[in-house]
Amino acid sequence: MQRWITIAGIIGLYLAATLVIGLLAGRRASHSVAGYVAADRSFGLLVMYFVTGATVFSSFAFLGGPGWAYSRGAAAFYILSYGALGMAPFYWMGPRAAALGRRHGFVTQAQLLRGRFPSRGLSALVALMSLVAFVPYVTIQIRGAGIVIEAVTDGHVPLWLGALVAYGIVIVYVLASGAMAVGWTNTFQGIFMVIIAWTLGLYLPHHLYGGVGAMFERIASVRPELLTPPGLTAAGEPWSWGAYSTFILVSAVGLMMWPHLFMKAFTARDDDTLRRTVILFPTFQLFLIPVFLIGFAGVLFPSSPGDPDFILPFMILRTHLPVLVVGLFCAGALSASMSTGDALLHAAASVVVEDGIGPFRTLSDGIQRALMRMVVIGVGAFAYVAALDDSSSLVQLLATAYGIISQLAPPIVAAMYWRRATTVGVVAGLVTGWATAGFFYLHPALRPFGMHEGVLGLLVHVPVLVGVSLATERQAPEHVEAFVGSLHDA
Amino acid sequence: MKRRVSLGAARALTVCYLLLMTAAVVWPGAVPASRIHPFVLGLPFSFFWPALWVALSAPVLYLLDRVERRHRGR
Repeated sequence: MQRWITIAGIIGLYLAATLVIGLLAGRRASHSVAGYVAADRSFGLLVMYFVTGATVFSSFAFLGGPGWAYSRGAAAFYILSYGALGMAPFYWMGPRAAALGRRHGFVTQAQLLRGRFPSRGLSALVALMSLVAFVPYVTIQIRGAGIVIEAVTDGHVPLWLGALVAYGIVIVYVLASGAMAVGWTNTFQGIFMVIIAWTLGLYLPHHLYGGVGAMFERIASVRPELLTPPGLTAAGEPWSWGAYSTFILVSAVGLMMWPHLFMKAFTARDDDTLRRTVILFPTFQLFLIPVFLIGFAGVLFPSSPGDPDFILPFMILRTHLPVLVVGLFCAGALSASMSTGDALLHAAASVVVEDGIGPFRTLSDGIQRALMRMVVIGVGAFAYVAALDDSSSLVQLLATAYGIISQLAPPIVAAMYWRRATTVGVVAGLVTGWATAGFFYLHPALRPFGMHEGVLGLLVHVPVLVGVSLATERQAPEHVEAFVGSLHDA
Repeated sequence: MKRRVSLGAARALTVCYLLLMTAAVVWPGAVPASRIHPFVLGLPFSFFWPALWVALSAPVLYLLDRVERRHRGR
C-alpha cells in the first residue's frame, strides 16, 4: 500500500475519534444557553487542564513555533516566556469572575463588563472588536489544518479538501454539543499534542545529530546568531529588544483576555478546579521546549522548505520516519489546530449573540441557541474561504489581534478591582487604546523602539481610563460593592 | 515555619516572583542571560533561562495555593 494512503487512514481514524467524542459529550449537556456556552459549569480538573493547554496552544505554536525557531532562532523564546506570566493572575481573577458569573448569570466577558458598567454600546463594541480579532485567528487554524494534510499526503488530499473535512467535523460537533464537545475533544487533542511534541522533539535531534546538546553545539559553531535573544526578524535581520520585550508583555496581558479563554472561568465546576488549572499550566507550557527543538533540528538540514511554517511537515517527510509516526504527527498538528479553532468558533458565536445582539433584543433560550449555531456556520464559512486565499495579509492581521485583545485587560481589571472606575472612563479608555494601537499598526515606522502597537495602546489606554474615571461621577456604592466587594457566595 | 506565613505575605511573595520573572525575560533583565554558554540540560543558556522561570512558577503557585487554602478553610 502506498504511504500516503496509510497516513490518510490514520488521519481518518483520528478525525472519526474526535467526531465521536464531540457528539457523545453533547449528550451530557442541558439544552440551555448555560449548557451550550458554559457546559453547565461542570468541568473538572482533568478537562480544564487539557482544555486550557490545548486551547492556548494552536497551530501557531505547533507549526509556527518550529517555524520561528528554524528561521528566527531565539526570537521564538518570546513564545515560551509569556504564557505562565499571562496565566498566573488568573489564580485570583478566575475565581472572582466565576463567582460573579454564578451570582449574576454571566457567561461571557462582556456581560461581566456590562454588569459593572451598564452600557449597551460598550457591550456591542467589545463584541465587534472580539470578532475582528477572531476571524484571522480562525482562518490561520483552518489553513494550518489544510497545509498539514496536503503535505503529508503528497498533495493527494489538497488543502481545500483537508481543511473542509477537518473543519466540517469541528462545525458538526460545535453545533451539536457546544462547550461540552469543545471540552472533551480538547482533552483528547491536548493529550495527543503533548505526547507527539515531546516524542518528536527528543527523537529528531537524537536521530539527526546524536542528541540535544550535540545539536546545539553544531548550531553554535555554524549559526551562533540564532541562539541569543532577541534573535532575528523574518527577513533575517537582527530583531530589536524593544520588539521582543513588548511582544512578551502584550501577549502576557492579552492571553487570558481572549474571550474563548476568559470564558473558561465560567465553565469550571468550582474555584479550586480553576486555581489548580492555573498552577498546573506551566507544566503544559513546557511542551514548547520540544516544539522549538524540532525547529532547531531543521536549521542544519541540507535542504529547506520555501515557507518556514512548513519546516515541521517538511522534516517529518524527509527523515524517513515510520509511516505510523508521520500519521500521528499529523494528528497532533490537527489537534493543535482544531482544539483552538473549535473554541474560537464557539466563543465567536457566544460573543456575537450574547453581547452583540442580546443587549438590544430579548431572545428566548431556543432562539439564542439557534442564532449561535448560525454564527458558528457563518464565521466558519467566511474563515474557510479566507483560508484558501494564499496571501500574507492575514498573518499581518493576526499580528495585530493581540493589540486588540490586550485592550480588554484594563476594563476587566477595573470592573473587578477598582471602585472608582466609571462607565465613561472605561469606554474612553477602550476607544483611545484601540485608536492608538490601530494608528501604530498602520504606521509601524513611527513605533518607538519597535514596540508592539498593543503596548503603545495600553500606555494611552490606562491613563485615559484612570483620568476620565476620576473626572466623572463615581458609581453608586451598593452597585460597586456587588462587583468589587468580597464575594462570599455559597 | 511555613505554617506561619500569612496570606498577605504569600500573595506579596508570589507577585514579587511574577514581577522578577517579567524583568528576567524582557529587556534589560534578559540581556545578561542572552548567551549560548554554559549549556544546561543540553540547552543553550538563553533557552534554559526562560524555561527555568516558567518551570519554577508552578511550585511558586502551588505554595501560594497551600497558604490560600488554609486561609479559606477558616
